Amino acid sequence: MTERNLPGMSFNEALEEQLARAHWTRREFLRRVAAFGAATALTQLLIACGQAGASATAGAPSTGPTPAGSTTAEATATPAPTPVPSPEDKLFVYNWDAYIGEDTVKQFQDKYGIEVTYDNFPDESTQIGKIQSDGKGGGYDIHYPASTWVPSFVSDGLIQKIDHSLIPNLKNLSTAWQSPAYDPGNAYSVPNFWWTTGYAWDPRDISGSLTSWAELWDPTRKNKMSMLDDLRECFAAGAFRLGLSPNTTSTTELDQILQLLEQQKPLLRFYTATDQITDMINEVVEMAHCWSGDWVQMTYDKPRLKYVIPSEGSIRGNDVMVISSGAPHPIAAHLWIDFNLDGDISAASTNYIGYMGPNDAALPKIDDYIKNDPRLNPPQAVLDELIELEYLKPDDLAEYTDRWNALQA
Amino acid sequence: MSGKASRWLTAFTIATYLFLFAPIVVLIVFSFNDSRRSFTWQGFTLQWYEKLLANTDMLNALKVTMEVAAIAVVGATILGSLLGLGLARLRFRGSGAVQTLLLLPIMTPEIIMGISLLVFFSQLFGLNGSVGQIALAHITFCISYVAITVRARAASLDPRLEEAARDLGASAVGAFRHVTLPLLAPAIAAGAMLAFALSFDDLVVTSFNTGVGSTTLPVQIYSGIRFGVTPQINAISSIIVAVVSIALLIAWRLGAFRTAARAVIADPEGA
Amino acid sequence: MTTAEAPAELDGVTAPPREAVARRSGSAATSILVLPGVLWLVAFFLVPLAIMAVVSVGSVDPAGHITLANPGLGNYTHALDPEFIPALLRSIWYATATTILSLGIGYPVAYWISRYGGRHKVLLLILVMLPFWTSYLIRTYAWVMILRDNGVLNSLLLDSGLIDEPIPILNTDVSVILGMTYGFLPYAILPLFVSIDRLDFSMVQAARDLYASGRGAFLHVTLPLTMPGIIAAGLLTFIPALGDFVTPSVLGGAQTTTIAKLVQTIFTAGRDWPYGSALGFLLMGVTIVGTLIALRSLRREVIGASA
Repeated sequence: MTERNLPGMSFNEALEEQLARAHWTRREFLRRVAAFGAATALTQLLIACGQAGASATAGAPSTGPTPAGSTTAEATATPAPTPVPSPEDKLFVYNWDAYIGEDTVKQFQDKYGIEVTYDNFPDESTQIGKIQSDGKGGGYDIHYPASTWVPSFVSDGLIQKIDHSLIPNLKNLSTAWQSPAYDPGNAYSVPNFWWTTGYAWDPRDISGSLTSWAELWDPTRKNKMSMLDDLRECFAAGAFRLGLSPNTTSTTELDQILQLLEQQKPLLRFYTATDQITDMINEVVEMAHCWSGDWVQMTYDKPRLKYVIPSEGSIRGNDVMVISSGAPHPIAAHLWIDFNLDGDISAASTNYIGYMGPNDAALPKIDDYIKNDPRLNPPQAVLDELIELEYLKPDDLAEYTDRWNALQA
Repeated sequence: MSGKASRWLTAFTIATYLFLFAPIVVLIVFSFNDSRRSFTWQGFTLQWYEKLLANTDMLNALKVTMEVAAIAVVGATILGSLLGLGLARLRFRGSGAVQTLLLLPIMTPEIIMGISLLVFFSQLFGLNGSVGQIALAHITFCISYVAITVRARAASLDPRLEEAARDLGASAVGAFRHVTLPLLAPAIAAGAMLAFALSFDDLVVTSFNTGVGSTTLPVQIYSGIRFGVTPQINAISSIIVAVVSIALLIAWRLGAFRTAARAVIADPEGA
Repeated sequence: MTTAEAPAELDGVTAPPREAVARRSGSAATSILVLPGVLWLVAFFLVPLAIMAVVSVGSVDPAGHITLANPGLGNYTHALDPEFIPALLRSIWYATATTILSLGIGYPVAYWISRYGGRHKVLLLILVMLPFWTSYLIRTYAWVMILRDNGVLNSLLLDSGLIDEPIPILNTDVSVILGMTYGFLPYAILPLFVSIDRLDFSMVQAARDLYASGRGAFLHVTLPLTMPGIIAAGLLTFIPALGDFVTPSVLGGAQTTTIAKLVQTIFTAGRDWPYGSALGFLLMGVTIVGTLIALRSLRREVIGASA
């Protein structure tokens, strides 16, 4: 930025006046310039990385990334108007356990020299509680909420807009994920992994090929089945059996579903959202209502177990990566998202956890048994049939909760 | 004072100890099981111990848990012992209310206590969780256990003992230190042990007060429960049991228990 | 007054005579002892709880935020739902069974350690606690391993020929109560020990010398004198047991849901903090009232027995 000598003003004062007109504060301006500069520099870096391969560039030539990337960045980038800030040296991530590739965090740390504090939480309410606690993300940079939370996070100011210029790997997203309904244009979020719901069974105990939700109501299997301890999922199962929508808000329909679930309850061994994998492996139950990734985990220990997305219809869902509005390390956060959108990294994660990602570039590297399995990677026609669990308004959710508690009590 | 115990009583006691240690034996055995999730024996391996030593997340969680427990035990034992003694000895005008206040934390559903502290710390103080915050929460619910335990003992202490010491020229603090405190020592120690166990194992309240990098072991374990409790947890638990057992063995050999027991047995009155 | 004389012979085992106690109620002594703990509880327990009490009269607005726009007791009337009663009764049943078993098992053990432990008393106590310095979840899952249909217990019983078919213990009331008793046993043993250890056994001897039977001596001397410990142990077992929902989830089944679990659900899946708080406070109220009534009647019994 060349100096403009306005009469009687120093450069700084002139700058402030310009900024005031643009309704920016000086700090905001510097941040944006820095971001632009960083983006340019980082883009160069990332392209260089891509060319050098996805592995850690420990012995790489000077175009490789360094923690204090400013000097090398300046060497390869177009001259920035102001000094380019390097990504921060730390990153705070809050995610489910084992919901990322086994080496992903380590690879990220090695590649960028950013120290990652990767914390887990036991359930969604802890996660959401943390995000909402201080109104700006609870001290973490990256969160992984279910997609249905995004609109409310945006309106509550809990997450910040994502700077797409810092995430060139966004191009890897398949077209279906470029602009989801919950977040047009992926302005605030980037899709992470998606799943389907169905049930798994042990063919040694139950022969034949099962396709219907009704199998979970079979009285001959008394005390040998489990359902998810998730009120939306259980009501969805009942809804599909009755041909109703899993997002229904009609109390008459909900009563019908409740009746159906009450018929099922005496047949169940338990409701669980945490033990279905171990209990199927250890033959505590023969049939378990579960998510697609659960079944993949089961097959690591018991390959014979089967899974189906029931024909009456089922649920699909996905979660997203978001950046807290109060993120202490926003640049590192963007780097993290970009890193996870890399085809190889995303494929490694999918192969490890069994959930498909939204990533076209990852497809070649994803294991065949996941990629080619229509239950884990359904064709678009099937996907279009699957329904997402929509965000319910509090009054409607209360109708579900009351009935669920009545069922459980 | 130590006559011969009835055979049934001794057998019953031994059976109870077996009951207490049965799951511990199982968990130690399975820390060597060559399978991630299976409950059946698949072969011997040391891989879980190796993986554990490389698992910085788990080790950090253990460190955080120990730090929190140390602070919580000290804080809760001091505050709770004073409270218990005060309640037992002194008939002051608010004692009924204080007694009820003591019972309240035990009666509060954990999720309510956890969320109330989350809101308290984040909305009123802008805090996002930390070792200190978790420790504060733990002290809060441990005080009651210590106080109730100490009170039970203090209730049967004759205050005239302390009076006698005062009559013989001791100061209030001196009488407290040399008469009351030793007599209360077993109850205080018992309260401290309870507080440690409570703090070490707490899940719900803690999960709402963790901060970046300050996850405790129970939260860490419960976060991974969907894939089964990793045998690394068995390994950690086995190591803890081993370390404490060895420490106990050393202390026993050094006669530490004899000294402690003497303090417990030899009371100035009675036998 | 004779009552003031009598305690002189029973040093330290009866309630202190009134005069001695009254002399002690100086406010300075009270403050030092009681104030720090009380202040702490007020600051870090009552104040946050008061926040939740305020929340409990609020409601959730369509955007999902807690609002106090229409404060009222609606959540409390909502919480008085008869649908909750089976779960509530079940919780009380589990807690009662757990407390009785814990006291029943804990008392003899505490007695044994105190009476016959000798030099090893402290070591024996620490050994009681040792299993509980491992992780709670892993102990509970260890019980799953033991109690499963093809678990350790059933394998042993089958191998020894005592049974022909595995006994389905897991995911029933039995496994829940067993697991809970196991979890709360140390919370019973420790306070019991503390109280039993204070007991002057020469009194028991005296009763025997006066021709009381073993049972009589126990019922009329030992038991009443250790009542403070029993009460403490009972409180520290029963009340937390009412709120335990993890053990019933892991060791229980579809039919063993507790009221604590329902409260949990309202907060988590139901996302309704006001309603959940109201239900929680309602439960606390019931528990407080019940406990105070029980304590008062127990105290009457205790004073009656030892007078």
